[in-house]
Amino acid sequence: MRKILFVLVAVAMLLSACGGAQPTATPTAAPTAAPTTAPAAVPTVAPTATPLPPGSIQINGAGATFPLPVYTEWAYAYQYVDPSVVINYQGIGSGGGKKAIIDGTVDFAGSDSVLKDEEYQAGKDLQMYPILAGAVVVIYNINWAQPFPADAKIPTLVLDRQTLVDIYSAKITKWNDPAILALNPDLGGYLPDASITVVHRSDGSGTTEIFTKALSAFSPEWKTNVGAGASVQWPVDKAGNGVGSKGNQGVAAAVQNTPNSLGYVELSYAVSNKLAYAAMRNKAGKVVQADAASVQSAMADFAGAFDAKLTANIVDAPGEGSWPIVGYTYLILHTTSMEDCLKARKLLEYIRWSLTDQGAGKRAAELGYAVLPPAVRDNVLAKLGEVTCKGQPVLK
Amino acid sequence: MTDVQPQLTVNQAALRARRKATSALMLSLTGVMTLLAVVPLLSIIGYVVYRGGKSLDLSFFTQLPKPLGMEGGGVLHALEGTIVMTTLAAIFATPPGILAAFYSAYHPNTPLGVALRFSTDVLSGVPSIVIGLFGYAVIVVPARHYSGLAGGAALAILMLPTIIRTAEEMLKMVPHSLREASLALGAPEWKTALSVVFPAALNGIITGFLLAVARAAGETAPLLFTALGNERYDVGMIIRNGVAQNQSVLQIIGRIVDQPVDSLPLTLWKYAQQPYPERIEQSWAIALVLMILVLALNIFARLWVESRKRRLQG
Repeated sequence: MRKILFVLVAVAMLLSACGGAQPTATPTAAPTAAPTTAPAAVPTVAPTATPLPPGSIQINGAGATFPLPVYTEWAYAYQYVDPSVVINYQGIGSGGGKKAIIDGTVDFAGSDSVLKDEEYQAGKDLQMYPILAGAVVVIYNINWAQPFPADAKIPTLVLDRQTLVDIYSAKITKWNDPAILALNPDLGGYLPDASITVVHRSDGSGTTEIFTKALSAFSPEWKTNVGAGASVQWPVDKAGNGVGSKGNQGVAAAVQNTPNSLGYVELSYAVSNKLAYAAMRNKAGKVVQADAASVQSAMADFAGAFDAKLTANIVDAPGEGSWPIVGYTYLILHTTSMEDCLKARKLLEYIRWSLTDQGAGKRAAELGYAVLPPAVRDNVLAKLGEVTCKGQPVLK
Repeated sequence: MTDVQPQLTVNQAALRARRKATSALMLSLTGVMTLLAVVPLLSIIGYVVYRGGKSLDLSFFTQLPKPLGMEGGGVLHALEGTIVMTTLAAIFATPPGILAAFYSAYHPNTPLGVALRFSTDVLSGVPSIVIGLFGYAVIVVPARHYSGLAGGAALAILMLPTIIRTAEEMLKMVPHSLREASLALGAPEWKTALSVVFPAALNGIITGFLLAVARAAGETAPLLFTALGNERYDVGMIIRNGVAQNQSVLQIIGRIVDQPVDSLPLTLWKYAQQPYPERIEQSWAIALVLMILVLALNIFARLWVESRKRRLQG
């Protein structure tokens, strides 16, 4: 009897307390709500007729954090180009973005790392589109052995490809190593007799992938012993002078706070944190600085190197002005299975705008990114034109 | 006798002195330790106020984010998102939480009651990121998009253990005699539960509820995979558009909850990772707002309970 009464209390309270908003109703409400709101507007509003109300098409993307600042700015600027579209891009990491686009929970994903074969299979009709490129730079913090003259500008540290590999392989462990001294005659007497603390990422990251790809290209020995990937077994960790840190920000902070240390970050982190970053002697034997021009030079060197999937490895470029540690950041789309054709068209228009609009490119360059050289961009635009929705090409 | 007495008093005096010394020592020790325990909280509050206070102004609460390098811009989107999702979470978690608490308080030794208590304990120990992944798998993937609804559901799971445990404790504290008196007067059990036991325990239940809300409002991890985040989230615009298009209230509410939504801790987490000093400054300001929000909820819960107690007594 008591039990029955209790059940009655339970039912009564459920009805009185939560009324219509029963939690059990929500999971089923979510899938049904989307189709009723969005496509209902599609047939009634013809593509070229009266403009859509502002903010009526929500396009969601997620993924790499590296291009997040510029994607956010583009999204903000695009509301003045096409007020009906809201672009929402969230930096959850390249891995998260790839998972989301495979699961179909976002309309587009951003990624610094290339899809693996099994990911292509899982996602069925995925295509990567290079959008921007960025440089990875080596930042350093040295306690100089003697003070520089008051009026002198401190020379920038120069490294070459083999020296960088040797530092990360723990073969070079002192700042005054002959190999470093030979590259930096100006710094003779200033480089301390101190061991190098080598900072690397502790989390899986696209930055690490670009950096280790470069090291693999610089040295066959690194390629066989360590290899390239989002996270690797660092030889410096075994040697005892390696330090792991989380995120670009973490590496920048670790280098800032550790005397006589060195680490690698995306260029924008080095610039905005006002850290000293090294120049590199590239494959052509020229000393180059990391900037938009040297990154673009690297992209141009590899403009013909795209495979059928439109991905390319652009480290260790042969050009004289090319920065050697460069990577593309990609957008990932479903090419044939997008269901909402209006949304698909708006999304592709946005991507086309971000690739071709002069203001968009200028702003990206100001933030430290390199836009695609024309040859590469035309490749990407042609590939975008192949996207279909319900069998029809999306961009006409 | 006269020989013994002075000796005793000496002993007693020595003993007393030693006891006093020990007491003083322990008292100062506990005092110092108390200070040590309070120092982290105070220094956190102080530092966050110092770092975050600079970028706080009215536009911080009334504007959407602006691109880097542009003056102004705020976190209205995150503020609205936090309110929307914690409200959803409260709606989802409170009824089942309180009903479960009733069951577990009334039938503590039945198999279901034991299982309930055990699973509540386990649930409160589950890392919040796991709850986020659960929400992703169960709500986001089938629905094929991230939403505030999914975020609210994840936060609701997070709130459940706190609500159940505090409500259960409070219900148990209601004197048995009160229940028996009500039953003896002929009230059926459901009426006793609803109008005698529940009101008597309401103070504590509400305190627990507000603490759960405060916890949910400060969580980042469960939202990463459910709510995603949305810098352009603007409830005002959704309502204006909805009214302009003659949408029903339900449709408008649907649009508010059924799209990616931001929250204060999520925005803080995102901004703090960016290389730009403006964003770092703003993330300190968000930390300050979040801290004030959580502190205010806590203080409000206590004041409310105090005033109710006084009313019930007086």
